[in-house]
Amino acid sequence: MIRFLPLVWRNLGRNKTRSLLTGAAIALAIALVCILRTMPAGLDNLLASIAKNNRISVHNEAGIVYALPYSYLQKVRSVPGVVAATSWTWFGGAFEEEKGVTFPNFAVDADSIGPVYEDLGIAPEALEAFRRQRDAVLVGHQTLEKYHWKVGDRVTLKSTVFPVDLEVQIVGEIPLPNDPRVWLQREYLSQALESQGRSFDMINMVWARVDQPERVNDVMRAIDELFRNSEAETASETEKSFFGNLFGNLQGFVTVILIVTGMVTLCIVFIAANTASMSIRERVGELAVMKALGFRWNTLFWLLILETALLAAVSGAAGVSITLGLARLLKSVAGWSPQLGPLASFLVTSAILVQGLFLALVIGIVSGVVPSYGASRRSVAATLREVF
Amino acid sequence: MPLPLSYSVRSLFARRLRTALTVGVIALVVVATTLFLGLISSLQRTLRTTGDPRNLIVMRKGSSNDGSSQLPLEALQNIRFFEGIARDPAGNPVISPELIVQPFFLRKDGGRENVLVRGVEPAAALAVHDEVRIAEGRIFEPSAGEAIVGRGVAGRYRGAQLGETLDFGRGKWKVVGIFDSGGTSFESEVWVDVRELANDAKRTFPYSSFRISAAPGADIEALARRIGDDPRHALEAQPEPAYYAKQAESANTLYVLVVGLAVLAGIGAVFGATNTLYAAVQARTAEIGTLRAIGFSRASILTGFLVESLLTAFVGFAIGGALAAALGFGISRALGGVGFAAATFTTSVIELRVGGSDLFAAFLLALAVGLLGGFFPARRAAAMRPVEALRKA
Repeated sequence: MIRFLPLVWRNLGRNKTRSLLTGAAIALAIALVCILRTMPAGLDNLLASIAKNNRISVHNEAGIVYALPYSYLQKVRSVPGVVAATSWTWFGGAFEEEKGVTFPNFAVDADSIGPVYEDLGIAPEALEAFRRQRDAVLVGHQTLEKYHWKVGDRVTLKSTVFPVDLEVQIVGEIPLPNDPRVWLQREYLSQALESQGRSFDMINMVWARVDQPERVNDVMRAIDELFRNSEAETASETEKSFFGNLFGNLQGFVTVILIVTGMVTLCIVFIAANTASMSIRERVGELAVMKALGFRWNTLFWLLILETALLAAVSGAAGVSITLGLARLLKSVAGWSPQLGPLASFLVTSAILVQGLFLALVIGIVSGVVPSYGASRRSVAATLREVF
Repeated sequence: MPLPLSYSVRSLFARRLRTALTVGVIALVVVATTLFLGLISSLQRTLRTTGDPRNLIVMRKGSSNDGSSQLPLEALQNIRFFEGIARDPAGNPVISPELIVQPFFLRKDGGRENVLVRGVEPAAALAVHDEVRIAEGRIFEPSAGEAIVGRGVAGRYRGAQLGETLDFGRGKWKVVGIFDSGGTSFESEVWVDVRELANDAKRTFPYSSFRISAAPGADIEALARRIGDDPRHALEAQPEPAYYAKQAESANTLYVLVVGLAVLAGIGAVFGATNTLYAAVQARTAEIGTLRAIGFSRASILTGFLVESLLTAFVGFAIGGALAAALGFGISRALGGVGFAAATFTTSVIELRVGGSDLFAAFLLALAVGLLGGFFPARRAAAMRPVEALRKA
């Protein structure tokens, strides 16, 4: 079959306009499918990356926006099985005031971030600087990239929750590719509020790491039991469950994306099938001659399939490269938004690219089957009589 | 003399499979575009139509939404008698002091979402938000553990139907009414008594925001400035539509994104359509030669082929548009509305509705596909010289 490759290639070049148009259409459609798939993939990727850790969140049973007393952090730390715990308080800092909050940012306990998030791969120097320096912040990779910030830069965050503006210095990166989070020191916020004569005794949630995966459920039960009938009853859940719930309201949007992706895929099938049927129809006479010369029908069949598959594969490759460029463009304009959360991270994984290529190839083959089969099985005599 | 329309129509039927595939491609692009645009414009419509231009929303300075604003009781007393605030027949200012909390609700399918619960004084709230109308049941009684829910909430969460009991915050709330507000974002909210809610949420500050109705003919900008300049409390007042328009801004990025994707899909469809018609022109070389020989002009050949292409596009648009409208309705029904996270971290429940403007945008796209996809093949057909065309055949 390989020795026929030059023949197949020349056949594709016979009607250059058509091959080019079909190729471009398939490439665009594959790029669209890949881009659309990066959206739910951003969410899946986030959930998969936290599926295996032993981290749990403890928040008010009534909702995350219902505060917990700061003293709960110490109480959680004392529960057997808890290795380390830190608190999160929504700071709601806006970098550009008119745009509002463009990345999630929290005041956290700087000392315990390292032990609680040991799996994030934050550099030890960064953690050390975050502990030492009052106005330090750790910034997620996605946000660093979006604003072209570098370690050492100073920025001012205007809180939309507390009546303070804090000038902070970036001391390190949270190196996950689509992590938008920014962490600042709770102590820094606390001092700023106290200087205005305000007390600051609340947190939104506690994040704790449990020593062994088997103990996670017991520890969660123990924590919720500890705070039963207290001023604020808690609900504990694993990190995966927490983020799964947080982004659960995106399900409807994801459904629409999946439907649209399916339609674009079907489009590719139609375009490829149309081209295959056209170019094969025009060649029936020639195929009959080849058969008369002694080519077997299944050789001809595979030659035709090879032709559509080759075109689809080349276009698929082009589509994949368009995806890479397009994703970069989208990342720079979109980034984190409260409406889309991780859907807007446009994370192009190698799986998406490989699947895009594979999809193109499969569609190329499938769309060629019916016309190729028909053409290659036609009887020589009938065709020749018809043509000449 | 132009080619008769029936020539173009019959030509389409002469090669059914190809016509069907091209129509299919255009229809799919139309469905994808319309569905996406419909989703985004439903979101934008919900946010943009919320709020009354004669109403001011007053929050703490620097707060971007009323979910993060906190106001003391004194602030209300200070601004109550400012000039320019509407008065009710009894002479009291029309101000609705409100408290926002965002507790967890359980969806019918078991998932958990933050829902915006608005604590209000019943009479004041209905006076200020005059688009809100109790559709079923009645307004809640203060301090009776009662709640009214928006339409979007009623269909989506457990215990949110009329007569059922909602379990949120620390207490239990009996649903005594369902309200609608003409499709605005209030329909994704639950309203309860403001004092009961402050107790339940243990808030140190009793209010999040004040909604003020301006008196007829009063200068609303001047009133807003006066509230903002008041030195006793750091307040900021803005007209409600401006506030909700700001909430809709991140939807605008989405809109641009979707239009970009639609244009890409459209270009793909143009390529597909061009291909089909090129093949048709090639197959009909002899026919075109004959038409030219019996006296049809280049212009009429060009129009004839363009009409063929446009017909394909219109049929594709009709099928795609109908399919998108049906799908939109189906999705909305099946999911009880499509959820979006609002800036307050609560869920806005959007009814996915394919509107006229979405269909019109898709129509323009189909038209462009028809014209662009038909132009080059039609030009090639028109450029054929009759003698050569006939000889080739």
